[in-house]
Parts: sequence; structure tokens; C-alpha cells
Amino acid sequence: MIAIINYQAGNITSVANALNKLGVDYVITADKEIIRKADKIIFPGQGRAGQAIKELKKAGLIDLIKNTSVPFLGICLGLQILATSSDEDNTRCLGIIPGTVKKFSSELKIPQIGWNKVNLTKRSFLTQDIPDSTYFYFVHSYYLITENKYIIGKTNYDIEYPTIINKNNFYATQFHPEKSGDVGLKLLNNFCKLC
Amino acid sequence: MLVIPAIDILNGKCVRLTQGNFSLAKKYSNNPVQMAKRFTQAGATRIHIVDLDGAKSGKPINFTLIKKTRQSTPAILEIGGGIRNLKTAKTYLDLGIDKIIIGTSVIKNLKLIKNLIDKYGSQRIIIGLDLNKDKIVINGWKKTSQQNYLSLAKKLKKIGTREIICTDISRDGMLSNPNLEPIKKLQALGFWVIISGGIANINTIKKLQTQKFYGAILGKALYENKINFKQAIKLTKTTNNLTKRIIPCLDVKNNQVVKGIKFKKLTFAGDPAELGKKYAEAGADELVFLDITATLEKRKTLCSMVQKIANNIFIPFTVGGGIKSVKDISAVLKAGADKIAINTAGVLNPKLIKQASKKFGSQCIVVAIDTKKVNNDYFVYINSGKTKTKLKVLDWVRQVEKLGAGEILLTAIDRDGTKSGFDNNLLRQICSTVNIPIIASGGAGKLADFKNAIIKGGADAVLAASIFHYNKKTINTLKKYLKKNNINVRI
Repeated sequence: MIAIINYQAGNITSVANALNKLGVDYVITADKEIIRKADKIIFPGQGRAGQAIKELKKAGLIDLIKNTSVPFLGICLGLQILATSSDEDNTRCLGIIPGTVKKFSSELKIPQIGWNKVNLTKRSFLTQDIPDSTYFYFVHSYYLITENKYIIGKTNYDIEYPTIINKNNFYATQFHPEKSGDVGLKLLNNFCKLC
Repeated sequence: MLVIPAIDILNGKCVRLTQGNFSLAKKYSNNPVQMAKRFTQAGATRIHIVDLDGAKSGKPINFTLIKKTRQSTPAILEIGGGIRNLKTAKTYLDLGIDKIIIGTSVIKNLKLIKNLIDKYGSQRIIIGLDLNKDKIVINGWKKTSQQNYLSLAKKLKKIGTREIICTDISRDGMLSNPNLEPIKKLQALGFWVIISGGIANINTIKKLQTQKFYGAILGKALYENKINFKQAIKLTKTTNNLTKRIIPCLDVKNNQVVKGIKFKKLTFAGDPAELGKKYAEAGADELVFLDITATLEKRKTLCSMVQKIANNIFIPFTVGGGIKSVKDISAVLKAGADKIAINTAGVLNPKLIKQASKKFGSQCIVVAIDTKKVNNDYFVYINSGKTKTKLKVLDWVRQVEKLGAGEILLTAIDRDGTKSGFDNNLLRQICSTVNIPIIASGGAGKLADFKNAIIKGGADAVLAASIFHYNKKTINTLKKYLKKNNINVRI
């Protein structure tokens, strides 16, 4: 059973719809005990870093997530909260993946909204059967800076920045796979098949 | 980094001065319009134009040429020289000139700058600071003031200035090295600073690029072939693979997709869930679902229908119509929408936009604006285009950006359903005014209309209904056409 963490702000329904389509069992919850027993965890992303960390604290989930050994997928904001810190609301994040989250600063529009290419830089189960330079759907104003060894895919929006990352059992995408059509469903399905 | 080619016009010709000295003007071309076209073809996305006659005389002299240039290039145009009152500024901005540069008035009339920024926003008003050592030079560099640039900059910051073009006149046209000290100091104050004067070769550009400066204006070095413009563009170009979006719109009334002309004469076009799925499979980048009767009949958006659509659609999905409260938004998002569109309720209660973007994030909040031109100004209309408000559209877009809107869905009512093309001049003005994505709506008929909304209007996304519903054009045909015209789309 996959636990989708309900932190009162994410686009949880979209993720749930996608898992329905894939025929995967899931539960939407903020209950510590249920999440502890889940065999996978998804943290869907929308909202703000400060608020998300606050909600996780409130639900007593911070240590649980940090110490989990089951496959974990962070989406969008769910990628950013894995970092050490975020400039959004000056937030101290989970510190699972060393790195900082900064706001885009350029003449390009902010937020970045729309379909952008992901260049795959490393092989991973998560991106199995997904071609290089595939378009995924993005909506965000902040981006992660981290070490190359954690990066599976990168994207260009004025700067080149990581958009698929992985460390041990932690995976995350800056884009929304649940909103990226068939190829997004493929990525989610790859995650669901991880053990 | 932006590299911006400069076109200085004197007596209708394209010239370069040396250290601002008019008697040392050297002519490079008889045709500034042609020059702008050439720069555009070489990859310029922004062009700097100075009406030197205007700068000298305090009023625009080469206006007709500048108007022709506007019609000849989609590049962002910034114009300076002789803009010293609101009327001249308005003439240029209404014409679709993206940004105007104010120089002399920084000394003589700071209030004008404040008024301009209040009226048009900081994105369209650039301050030109021409420096002689640390003093400001005005009147086409004919007069050095006693004003220190840094103390002036602090005042400019207070009135909302964002962009500054900084020219060191001792370096201008000298093909020496630019003086970076004032640039760094201005940047430290938080301005976006464009360097002008003294950029002599490609190595200087490389150096500026690595130091992450915002922009640089190239003049004499281009005309004297010291810098190859294409090379400079290639060197500084930022890669951006974000595609332009094609968004079919489903206007829904009584659970059916309908389409009207100028918001009236509604005809049936299909079932929302079926059409939505069809478009998603056909390559739509997003869907917009507007319950067009919701506001009028004071109904809440039909969450069950949203749910039905969302179950089968794995691309982003915006829902609008009758959304009046944070509670409504919560319900619609829970039903499966990714974003919500606020129109009438946002005008009547702007706080809603703020509350909603704070709670759900800006990315979630699309502000839909319906507008119509009345006596030279575009006004905001509410209640499905039935009620005119006193709000001018250029004021409203800036306000909603400040309130936290993530996107603007702009419909020109007079074009809606007419298939006569988008209102590209309006789009252009809005895109230069705010920095959030703009979705163009109203008027799509031919493939070229989409291209023009993106290239001439500057739209980030185009929304259409009739053209898709009645199988006039498929999404794929449209995307292939746009790609052929060098517009980045997802195919």
C-alpha cells in the first residue's frame, strides 16, 4: 500500500487519480502509524515550503520521513523539502539531500509554468523506458541546487537545474508526473514497481 | 545575459556618436527600420533605440520611424530620447513599445517618473543614468548636473524603479573597457542594471557574462564589426526549453460544452468529459473548463463534473466559473482541478486572490480577465462580459500580479468567437507590464493567429475553443505549424 501524505495543501486528488488509473492501492493520510506501515510513500507537491514543513511537524512526520527505508517519491514541493534549506519562507527543510532551494531570478517569467524538457543524466529505475529529452509539466518558482551525484535529470530554464533526483530510497521530481500525460504515468508506474 | 543592440537615430539615419558628441556623429545606415529587422534576424530579442534628435529637443522627432520599427520586429523595444511628459510616454506605450527610457527627467522631474511607474508599472519604465564620473549628465549629454548617481539611485528605488541603463559617457563609443564600478554599486542596491558604453570586443562580453550582469548594450563595436552580433548572442543566450502551451477551452452550460460569439449566441459543442479526454489525447498541453453560467445563475461550480473530467485527464486542468470563496476553491481542487480561474469574484473582492494564492500557492490561481476597448482604453468587464467596470485592464493586471495571481487568462471580448485573430497589441502591452504568464484568448481563427499571438503579442499560452470544437484544425496541425515557425511546442 502506498501512503500519499496529506499535508492540507497538495494536489492530492491528481496524484490519487493517476494511481487509480495505474490500478495501484493507496491511502491518503497524515496518520503516523499508517505511514509507518506503508510500503511506499508519496509526498505530492503544491503550496509553500514553510507551510509544508509546519504541517509535517504538526503531524509528527519529520523523523519518520527522515528515517524511512521504503521508496519515497517527492513531487514538486516534495522535491524541495528534501533539501537542507529553502529560501521560500527561510525554511529549514528535511536535510535528506544536501542542497539549497533558491528562487528563479531572470528576465524569464516566474513561476515557470508549462512543459519543459528533462535531459536524463544518469540511468535509474525511475526513468526506465522514458526517452531522454522528454517533456514534463512544471509549475514552480524555486529550484534546487545540489551535487551531481544525486541528479538523474536536468532541465533548462535560464539556468540548468536538477529536476529528477535520487539518494538511496529517496526519489523526487520537480515536475508533476501525475500531470505529464502518458510519460508521467509511466514514471509513476516505475516508482510503484520499486522495491 | 541580455545583449541589446543599439540603434541611435539622428536626422532619420542610423548613427553612432562618440562620447555623446553630436558633431562627431558617424552615419552607418540610412534605414533604422531595416537595421532593427537585421538585428532581429540575427537573434536579438530586445533592441535599444534612441531618438537623438528627440533627446536634444526634448520631444520625439523620429516617431514615425519608431512606429514603423514596432511594426517590423517582434523584439522587445526600449525607446529613449525626448520622453519628458506623460503624453509622450503614453503615445509610445500605447503603440506597443515595451519599455520607455527616461533620462533627463531624473534630474528635472522625478515626479514624472513616479507617476509613470504608478501608471504603467516598473517593467515598462527604464531609467537611463548617464554618468560623467559620479555625476549625472542630462539633455543628450550636453549638461552635467551636480547630482551624485548613488544618492539619486536611492530615491529612484523608493519610487519603484527596477531597471536602469547605466552609461559611462567617458567610455561611450571609445571601444575601451566598461566601467563596472557604478554597475556593481547599483546592482547591490537591487536594480536590474544594463551596461552601456565601452564594450569593445567579445572578450568583454565573456567577462560580463561570467560576472552575471543583467544586460549589456552594444553600439559602435557592432557597427565597426569589432563584435560579431550572432557570436555575442550565441555566447550569452540562455537556454530555455519551456514550450508555448496550446489550451482548448471548454465553456460549459447546463453540463454541456457550448460556444458563443462575443459571449452570446451559444451553440452546443459536445460533452465536457468526452471532449476533455479527446483533447488531452490529441496533444493539448492543458485544459480550461469554464462554467460560464455559474456566476450569472449564482450556482457553485459543479464539482461532480470536475471529478468526472479529472478522472480521465492526466494533464493540467483549470476550472473557473462562480468561484467566490476559499471554500469554493478548496472544493474544486479536491474534486481534481489543478488550478482555479477567478474572474468576477476577484474584481468584486480582490482580497480573495490574495487569500487564495497564500493558501494554495500562486501556481494554483489563474485570474481570468475579460476586456473591451472603450474610448482608447481597455476596461475590465465582469459577469460573463455583461457588466463594464471602471477598472482599466493595465491597472488590474498589475494589481492581480501583486495580489499573488500565478497566471492571467486574458480575453478580448470583441474578438471572442469571431475568428478574426487575437488582439496582439493589447497582449503585447500586458506582457510587457507583468512578469507572470499570459494566456491569450478570444479570436483564434487561422493558424497564423496563434503564431502572431505568441510572436507579436508575446503570449505564453494560447487558448481557443471554436477552432477545435468544430474540427476546423486539430491540435497537432497547429503545433506542427508553430514548430515550423520556430516556436517551441511539445509534440
